[in-house]
Amino acid sequence: MRKRPDLYTNYKSESAIFSTVTQKIWFFVLISLSIFFPLYLSNYWILLVTTSLLIAIASWGLNIVSGMAGQINLAHGVFVGIGAYTSAVIGGVATSSVIGFELDMIIWLPISGIVAALVGIIISPVSARLKGLNLGLVTLAIVFIGSHFFSNFKSITGGAGLGRKAAKLKFLGVDLDSGLTFGNIILEKNLIIYYFSLFLCVLLGIGAKNLTRTKIGRAFSAIRDRDIAAEALGINLFKYKMYAFALSSFYAGISGSLLFIISGGIEPGTFSLLYSITFIAIVIIGGVGTVLGPLYGAFFFTMLPGIIQNVLHLVGAADSGFFLNPGEIERIVFGFFIIFFLVVEPRGIWGIWFRLRNYFKAWPFSY
Amino acid sequence: MTIFLQATFEGLSLGSVYSLVAIGLVLVYKATDVLSFAHPALVVVGAGIISALAVDRGVPFWLAFIIGIVATGLIGLIVERAFLRPMVGEPVFSVAILTIGIDILLRTVLNNWIGLNPRYLGDPFPSFGNFGSFQITGVTFKYLELAALFTAIVIISLLTVFFKKSKYGVAMMATSHDQEAALAQGINVGRIFGLVWLIAGILGGFAGFFITGGFNTLTQASFISALRALPAVVIGGLDSIPGAVVGSLIIGLTQGYVAYYQINLENIIGFSLGSGFSLIAPYLIMFFILLIKPDGLFGREEVERV
Repeated sequence: MRKRPDLYTNYKSESAIFSTVTQKIWFFVLISLSIFFPLYLSNYWILLVTTSLLIAIASWGLNIVSGMAGQINLAHGVFVGIGAYTSAVIGGVATSSVIGFELDMIIWLPISGIVAALVGIIISPVSARLKGLNLGLVTLAIVFIGSHFFSNFKSITGGAGLGRKAAKLKFLGVDLDSGLTFGNIILEKNLIIYYFSLFLCVLLGIGAKNLTRTKIGRAFSAIRDRDIAAEALGINLFKYKMYAFALSSFYAGISGSLLFIISGGIEPGTFSLLYSITFIAIVIIGGVGTVLGPLYGAFFFTMLPGIIQNVLHLVGAADSGFFLNPGEIERIVFGFFIIFFLVVEPRGIWGIWFRLRNYFKAWPFSY
Repeated sequence: MTIFLQATFEGLSLGSVYSLVAIGLVLVYKATDVLSFAHPALVVVGAGIISALAVDRGVPFWLAFIIGIVATGLIGLIVERAFLRPMVGEPVFSVAILTIGIDILLRTVLNNWIGLNPRYLGDPFPSFGNFGSFQITGVTFKYLELAALFTAIVIISLLTVFFKKSKYGVAMMATSHDQEAALAQGINVGRIFGLVWLIAGILGGFAGFFITGGFNTLTQASFISALRALPAVVIGGLDSIPGAVVGSLIIGLTQGYVAYYQINLENIIGFSLGSGFSLIAPYLIMFFILLIKPDGLFGREEVERV
C-alpha cells in the first residue's frame, strides 16, 4: 500500500501538503541545510541561490494564473517591474531626478506586492471578457504599454538607459545595507537578503501548495479545465479570474521588490518582452501546474549561464572563435529547452522527476 | 492639410507592410490553428538574408532579394515540418509558446550576425530622386513606401485570385473550414500546412524588406516593427483575411497620425504621453477594440460546446 505513490485511501491524505512522512523529513532537512549551508558558501553561490529563490517566487505567481487557472499571461515581467519600482519609490533614496521615501522594509515589502496585485485586479476584467489567444495578445500589449510607462515616467523609474537605485535594506529601523553583527558572527548584506528570500520562498511556496487544496484553488482548476462547465457549476468566472490575477501579481511584486536589491539598480529596459517570456519558459521547463516545478525551473534558469560556461571550458571552446558568445548560447539553449519540453515532456523537469521516482518505486514492475 | 496627407500616406504604406505580415499570420492560424509568435523573427531573418547576400557577398540586389524571399519561405516550411507537425492536436496555448521558442532560436542567431551597427539591405531605393523621395505640393513621397503600397496591393490581389481559382487555394480554404472533412475529400492536409507556412514565409520576406529597406536599416530591434502586425491581426479578427488587411491599415494609420499629431494631442489632454507613443498606440487600440468586440472586427464568433 505505502509503496504506491498515487494511491490515496481518503481525501485528507490526498490533499495533504506533504503526502508522505518521507516528504516531511526531506522538507525539514532541506530547510535546515539552506539555513546553515550558506554560511560556508562563497558570495557568488549565495547570490545565485538568492536569485533562484526570488525568481521561483515570481514563477509561482505565473504558475497560479497560467498553470492553475489556465489564463495566458505574457506580461508577468511587467508585474515584477511594478513590484521593483514600488519598493524603490517607497524604500529608495530620493535624488534630484527620482522620488523616494526611505521607509522601512516592513512597509515596502507588502506594499509592493499589494500595488502589483492592484494592477493585476485592474487588468483582470479583460481576462473575464477574453479567452485563449486573444487574452495572450492583450497581455502582450500590456508588456509594451508597461515598457513605455517604465521608460517615460522618469520621476519614478529614472528613465530609459539610466534607471535608479533599488530600495534600501532597512528592517525594523535597523540599517542592514552594511551587514549585521551578532557577537562574532558577521552577516553580510548578501546573506541577509538570502535569508529574507528563503523565508519568503518557504512561506509563499507553502502558500502556493496550500492554494491547490482550497476552494479557490479548486475553482482555478475547474476554470482551467473547462471554463463553461465551471460557470455552469456555479463558479463566478469574473471573481475567480480576478483572484488568479491578483495572487499572481502579488507574488510577482514581492519577488520584484527584492530581486533588484541584489544588483542594486533597476533599469527600465530590463522589463522587455524577453523578460516576461523568461518566466513562461521557467514554468514550462520546470513543470506547468505543479508547485515544485517552478522552483526547479528557476534554479535551472539561474544556474544555466554557469553550466554553459563550465561546458565551454571543458570542450575548450571558451576562448576559441565560436560564432556565438556565452550569452547567446544561453538563449539558444533556453529556446531549445522550451521547444524540447513542450514536444517531449509537457510536465517539465517535475514530470521527468515524477516518472523516475515512480519507476524506481515500483521497480521491477512497470506500475 | 499637408501634414494630414503626409501622415495618411505614411500610415497607409506602413499598414500595407503590416498587412503582408498579418495575412501570413491569419493564413497560418486559419489552416493550422497556430498563432505564430515566430513570424516577426521570420520577417527579420528574410531581411537578414537579403542584406547578407547583397551587401556582404556582393550579389546583385534583385537576385539577393528573390533568394532572400524564397529562403524565408523555405525556413517557414522547415519550421512547420520540424517543430509544429509533432504538435498537431496539442492545446493552442502550448503551440503558441512553442513558436516563442522558435522565435528565440531564430533571432539569437540573427542578432549575433547583425551585431551593434545597423545593416543596410543594399537596395537601390535610397538612390532614386532626392535621397529616395520626391515631393508633390509639400508632401514627401518615399519610393520605398510607394513600392510597399504597390507590392501589397499586387500580392493581395494575387492571393485573392489564388484562393478563388487555384486547386491548392480552394484546398486551403477547405482545410481551414474543417480539417477532417478536407481529409475525407482527398486533400493532403499535411501538404496544405506546409504550403501555408511557405506562403506566410514569402509574405514575411517581402514585409521584411519593406520594414528594413532603404534608410530604415536592419537592427536588433527591427522585429518589434514586425510584431506590430499581431495587434493588426487581432483587431481584424484572427480568422479573417479581409480583417487582417483592415486591421493593418487601422494600425498603420494610427501610428502615422499619432506620430505627427502627438504634440497637438498632448496640448489638448494636458499631459505628456512620452516619446515613442506612436509605437504603442496600436496596442492601445487593440486593447480597446478587443474589449468591445472580443473576436475582432471581422472575426467569426466562436461557438463553444461543453
